[in-house]
Amino acid sequence: MPVDNRRLWTPEETIPPEFITKYRPTTELVNQNGKRRDGREANQHRPTYLKAGAISQAKGSAYIEMADTKVIAAVYGPREVMKREDFTMSGQVKCVFKFATFSCKTRQKHIEDDREKELSMTILEALKPAIRLDKFPKARLEIFITVLQDGGSALAAAITCGSVAVADAGMEMYDVVIGCSLRQIGERSLIDPTTDEESHRSLSQSDEKSNETSQAMMTVALMPSINQVSSIIQKGELSIDGAKQALKQCLDTARKLHPVIKQCLNKAVEAKLKR
Amino acid sequence: MPTEECIRIPGERICRTDKGLVAGRGTYECNGQIYSSVAGMQLKSDKDGKVHIEVQREMKQNVLPEIGMIVTAKVTNVNPRQCKCAIISVETTSLSDPFRGVIRSEDVRSTERDKVEMYKCFKPGDVILARVLSLGDAQSYILTTAENELGVVIALSESGATMVPISWNEMQCPATYAKEYRKVAKVQSDHITQNG
Repeated sequence: MPVDNRRLWTPEETIPPEFITKYRPTTELVNQNGKRRDGREANQHRPTYLKAGAISQAKGSAYIEMADTKVIAAVYGPREVMKREDFTMSGQVKCVFKFATFSCKTRQKHIEDDREKELSMTILEALKPAIRLDKFPKARLEIFITVLQDGGSALAAAITCGSVAVADAGMEMYDVVIGCSLRQIGERSLIDPTTDEESHRSLSQSDEKSNETSQAMMTVALMPSINQVSSIIQKGELSIDGAKQALKQCLDTARKLHPVIKQCLNKAVEAKLKR
Repeated sequence: MPTEECIRIPGERICRTDKGLVAGRGTYECNGQIYSSVAGMQLKSDKDGKVHIEVQREMKQNVLPEIGMIVTAKVTNVNPRQCKCAIISVETTSLSDPFRGVIRSEDVRSTERDKVEMYKCFKPGDVILARVLSLGDAQSYILTTAENELGVVIALSESGATMVPISWNEMQCPATYAKEYRKVAKVQSDHITQNG
């Protein structure tokens, strides 16, 4: 993305006051009863709202909200590929993932940074196997995903949102793709982590210094009907058994989200038929 | 048997392929099962003795030029070897973004292919009907007008009036009566749909 010199530049870096005040929540990530800060069980997904057709100008679009995590996706095309070098006989997919400048605790740049580029690739990897590329030779489908607020598990939300947007665009797909994240802290695995749970290294504030044995974050993209995993992203270290367990938990939770997607697309189709 | 008239989403299993059921548009077949591949309404249609299961989207399907389809294009550039054009609609659906097409001089008409003079067939700005010959190369689709029904449909004269066809290779301006050469299409009603 080129730099826009006419833009009024904000300071290089801004830090919200909460960092200066050294605010520390007093409660632990998981209390004695096994409940998390927002009152969820360890294996409970946040309530999810999904809407297809949120952007009228786009060919297809979707909006997902999982408590504080809000992601919007738009799909355009298939368009003609202009550059001769980029040409392939099968269809192409382009994916642009962006954190809105105001979405995270620290301000994001307008320009796509390395993290966003990497996440774009990851999402593309997760969505591409589900799309029937043979149906649009010589053309390119463009998916734009923007995180409006990052309340944790933004990648998983982006994958789900992206796939619903592609389905809403009427593109032929083998299946929808559902993303689900898991945060492993020591023995505890937390499904659908919030930003706090993503960033903390231990469950309680008191032993912040102590290093738990396993620290990992796993995101799985599942195609539920054909029961295939299109992508697994793991950061950190997990034992083989731990990874198996984490994968299983992610898949179980992803399957639970399938009815939400189904209902949302049903509604979108009904709305189109009425018009 | 699948229930009729219900909404399907991508990846949803519809039915098995036995009992003479065939996977039609908007569906795919895998391991003897028919799955939906678009979000839309499930329909059944009989084609040559077989029941086709289709999932159709009320919104226009994603159309792209395919081999054998008739497209409407606007001429953008003419040179002695070929004529470049922008495909603006495929069959009856108009495209949101134009695709590039090219008509080579040997594909302009079916007779005397080697004697074609491109400047006497097309001029930039003409609206033409053409058939997709092949998906072509990276740059463009290859089109052909080598049929009586294909060729220039709308053309403006030097004075800017819409010209009237007077023969298969000539058009006349109604304002100045000047004649210009074109590869004129013998327009048939089933190749044209009136929009709005």
